[in-house]
Amino acid sequence: MSYRLPLLLIIFGWVTLCTPESAISSDQDKATSGKTTQAESDPQQVYQTTIQPLLRKHCFQCHGQGDEVHGEVNFRELKTEQQIEAAFELWSSVLEVIDSGAMPPETQPRLTSAEIEQFKSWYQKDLVDTIQPLPGILRPRRLSAHEYRQTLRSLFGFELEVAIAEAEQTVVEKSLVMKLLPVDPPGPSGFKNDTSANPLTTNVWDQYSFLIDDALEQWFDPRQREHIEVVAGPISAEHMTPEQAEKVLRWMLRHAYRRSPKAETIATSLAAIAGKRAAELESALRIELKSVLMSPPFIYRSLLATINAPNAKNDTVPPRPYGRVDDHELAERLSYFLWGDMPDDRLMQLADRGALHDPDVYASEVARMLEDAKSRNLAYNFGVEWFSLNEISKVSNNPPVSHALRQQPIDFLHHLFTEGQPLLELIDSNVTFVNPHTAKYYPRDRKRMTAYRKQRGIEVEAVSNQRLELTNTPERGGLLTMPGVLAMNKGPVIRGTWMLERIMGEHLPDPPANVGQVKPNQRGENLSFRERFELHRSNETCAICHNKIDPLGFAMQAYDASGNYKPAGSSNANTNKKRNKKKPDDPTNNQTASSPAARLDTSGRLSSGETFDDYDGLKQILITSRRRTVIENIVKRTLSYALARELNIHDVPTVDTITSELNQHGNLERQEGSYHDLINLVVNSLPFTHAEPQHTKND
Amino acid sequence: MSWQLDRRRFLRGAAGPLLPLPFLNLMERKASGAAADGPPIRFMTLFKPNGVHPPSWSINGGTEFDFRMSPLMQPFAKHKQDLLILDNMGDFGFSSHANSTRRFLSGHHRNTKSASVDQLIADRIGKGTPHRSLELTTEGLFPNQIGCSYISYDSNGDPIPRESDPQLIFDRLFRSPMRNQDKRREMRSVLDRVSEDAKSLSRTAGVEDKQTLDQYLSVVRSTEKRIENIAASSNDIPKATMERPLAPANMNEQVESMLDLIALALWTDSTRCVTYMLGNSNSRMIFDFLGIKEQHHYLSHFFRNFSRQNLDALLKISLWHMEKFDYLLTRMKSYKDHEGSLLDHSIVLYGSGMGHSDNHTATRIPIILAGQGGGLVKTGRYVRYAENQQLGRLHLALLKLFDADQDSFAYSNNPLPGLNGSNFTPYNEQPFESWVKKGDGSITVQGRLRLSDNLDEARIFLIDIEGQPSIRIDVAFRDFHDFNLAYHCGTAVKITGTFTEKDGQPVITKVQELNSLFGKKPGSANG
Repeated sequence: MSYRLPLLLIIFGWVTLCTPESAISSDQDKATSGKTTQAESDPQQVYQTTIQPLLRKHCFQCHGQGDEVHGEVNFRELKTEQQIEAAFELWSSVLEVIDSGAMPPETQPRLTSAEIEQFKSWYQKDLVDTIQPLPGILRPRRLSAHEYRQTLRSLFGFELEVAIAEAEQTVVEKSLVMKLLPVDPPGPSGFKNDTSANPLTTNVWDQYSFLIDDALEQWFDPRQREHIEVVAGPISAEHMTPEQAEKVLRWMLRHAYRRSPKAETIATSLAAIAGKRAAELESALRIELKSVLMSPPFIYRSLLATINAPNAKNDTVPPRPYGRVDDHELAERLSYFLWGDMPDDRLMQLADRGALHDPDVYASEVARMLEDAKSRNLAYNFGVEWFSLNEISKVSNNPPVSHALRQQPIDFLHHLFTEGQPLLELIDSNVTFVNPHTAKYYPRDRKRMTAYRKQRGIEVEAVSNQRLELTNTPERGGLLTMPGVLAMNKGPVIRGTWMLERIMGEHLPDPPANVGQVKPNQRGENLSFRERFELHRSNETCAICHNKIDPLGFAMQAYDASGNYKPAGSSNANTNKKRNKKKPDDPTNNQTASSPAARLDTSGRLSSGETFDDYDGLKQILITSRRRTVIENIVKRTLSYALARELNIHDVPTVDTITSELNQHGNLERQEGSYHDLINLVVNSLPFTHAEPQHTKND
Repeated sequence: MSWQLDRRRFLRGAAGPLLPLPFLNLMERKASGAAADGPPIRFMTLFKPNGVHPPSWSINGGTEFDFRMSPLMQPFAKHKQDLLILDNMGDFGFSSHANSTRRFLSGHHRNTKSASVDQLIADRIGKGTPHRSLELTTEGLFPNQIGCSYISYDSNGDPIPRESDPQLIFDRLFRSPMRNQDKRREMRSVLDRVSEDAKSLSRTAGVEDKQTLDQYLSVVRSTEKRIENIAASSNDIPKATMERPLAPANMNEQVESMLDLIALALWTDSTRCVTYMLGNSNSRMIFDFLGIKEQHHYLSHFFRNFSRQNLDALLKISLWHMEKFDYLLTRMKSYKDHEGSLLDHSIVLYGSGMGHSDNHTATRIPIILAGQGGGLVKTGRYVRYAENQQLGRLHLALLKLFDADQDSFAYSNNPLPGLNGSNFTPYNEQPFESWVKKGDGSITVQGRLRLSDNLDEARIFLIDIEGQPSIRIDVAFRDFHDFNLAYHCGTAVKITGTFTEKDGQPVITKVQELNSLFGKKPGSANG
């Protein structure tokens, strides 16, 4: 099923989210309602006089003094306005814990209701209401290793690969770029395209130099001129002509910089090859091309971007702190988001003509890009990093098997992202992608798969996935019950934490280091793991997080550590009643009714109050009463990846608007927006299309 | 020491035409050591995965100086005088792929906390060269049994990452600005150009851009500085016009490129110690360029996966391994080094960590040393020890040859005798008589059974008779299978059967009875 956002809605989204006018009018609303920051007292002062005393009284003891700061929260360090704003996520969880009574702990005096009200009103008034949507400063960002790889491939027309023949069942990095460049650490946003904390080093420099040499070597190779001739035209003699060299250099400047460079830049470059011929010319051209590809505008994104001056329509409008980015920057943002790659010629031409910010053109470009094969980037990078799917590679050391387990969620995410599936199909879907290595997890649907026969003498081999509609496998479907995802997170705590962070969007601090192991059953005890675990973590500080983690994690306990579905024995009241009961004589069903394993307890209660019996119950809650939480997380992750930066308090209004839009959206069975809607809203959002100018030295 | 170069020698680029090697400046090159020091001795290792098919590999009978090469060694007859073939190496029962891989250079699979022998030798000979050692391979990692992927281990016993890309090795050896003046000059002009660019950008930039550009410029400046330092103290390869290997079209080209590079690296004294794996142990490689569609590991279990075609395929692969060894030795002989060839001043260790590739016994492990190592090793011999030898004894003996101060290695305290011609206790075959008795239509023959030298007819067996031509056995599959002829290869048997005369010689066409003179009955041991 394919679903497209109606054009009207796109325009609506455009107007509300992006145009400078809308931003101004909201500023004005605030100004008229008297809530601007300047109108009353200094926010830092308000915090110091009303909130800090409250924190000092109730919280500092654990979260702000002494040698040990609990839960990575230190209120004492929050002093300036910037620090207070930067901690916006902390404040919302503070509100949640004091409101629910989870904090302060039971042994400590509670906050009075007046104190709680005081905090709430400060939160609403000083944080939520006064947040001004701002797009963020235009910052240069170094290309990630993956972006660098894709960009080189697009420039030269071929992939840089290690020069080896492939051998079966071995693991080797075929891409020369990925092999030589250091692995990118995820940035503050959690995504690798956020390279803000990943500086250029001499090691990276040497590898860039090596890679560019290798690419130019192949490009200039007289035995295979097809790639360079795409740019230079047919080369008839042994060497290219001066005209061809100039053409190549001009082409490279424009494409490497992803925009037309200034006239003086071109002149300087051309001077390097002027008056040279034949071999001398090619050698000078190669050095000049290498200089272009080693220069800052190539290896950093946004370095040459400009912000269009705000064009004030009337004098009453106060000067805006931001403006729309130029069309080339917009093209670059779009292509690195959707493709992980530089803009193609079509995008660049639209940007040249200044046509890209036309809403119709822009929308049709986004649709075109999602249909392009390069949009696999969304699943391969955004999806993989969001759900930490690379962890699946560690599940099996048999390469064809781990490939199958990892490829399943990737193919599924690609299907969601590019075929415009409803957002919550992520969790609840009857489509999956399987191959002979994963088919055993779908025993009642696998017979509809196309048969596969292994050749004689082949021990194991990687096989591509087939799309499979699930009609008899209700215990699967959706990302969370894919065998690779279940197997990479072993145990209820890790599964619960992963779900809380990656699906519900909560950030949890690390557990304290001294918690020890869950005690085994003592003599005479016959407790299930869950029962023993609950004893273990009954400590109230543990409970803060574990009350959230455990219901999610234990709901998955019917899936074993390898991802097999093994509901408990039928004699137990707490087990999954509906489906896939093992026959009594099933040899794998060797649990007696009284053994802890047979008393598998998959029920739980969320901190928001809903209760469920098993994972299926939990899933229903996630897609109904808690769906806003799930959708908001989807929006935050997508926006953060698209912007290649961590979100801040000024992105909150954008996230809220997009979330509401998608959550209420309606002509689908599910009543929520699709991934196409999401992508359209994100690429039209204020932070995606606008930027604040950089600080100047005088600031 | 001075470089000598035969101007007519060529370096062949993989998949490419024969390319001249304009390497002439090397002829005037002076190395740091005085000429009196003599040429450096190199140590090179070539690992053959997945053991061997014993009937085609083993030499049976013969003496130290008078022996016949086995069917698989036939490509090697021309190198006979440069080889020291060791037999009865390995003293362990059954061995996994991973354990046998560790055993090859570490002596014992439990020797997991020590460096492998190549690294200990590199400590002795590799310090003064640009690359202390190179660890090379053909395949990627085999995560299924990760130990199958490594033969070289560092001093903690941890595996050393290997490289399989000939182009990367070439660039590292000969094209890095670290060793190449032209590359340094080019890098200097690039650095000049980009720092101009960065400075002109930074004049108009805001604070955030400036931070980025400052970081960029500091990397540029420190690269400039490194280049200057290297230029001041460089030991350059004079001219960098050697042809870089092309991307290989298949595994054969890749391996030949790598062997070319290894010889070149050793000859230019870029390194003195190289290990190279022709494949992972347990290798699943498909030798499609030999017309084979099954995986090597599957085929290497030639008994349990027996079929005529499978055995033929396995023998093709085994022969290919030997041809690559031949290729390396031929290349090393082609480089003149002082008063001899590069091979004369090298020791090349070829072999595996496992003997029988189907039942995984770690006895009669294939081990060949090639090259005299400047007189350290006495070649032209076949040395079969009386007893099964721990592999660690061989390693200890090698360490002694390289003057390593080490009294034991891998649970072995006595170096293996005989490498340099010293006394050793040879294997003594139990004496037996060989004869032929022809009757009416039937024939009885007693003698040592062996596989045909011609691997294209690997179903033909021969019985050697003292002083007479060997008797051919050319029987149907049924007999081959029922009497398990391959199992008895190398041992004395008495066979009765029917025969026909061909060219005046009897050929056994059907076996009626087979008796082993000294051995066990087939089926009493695995495989």
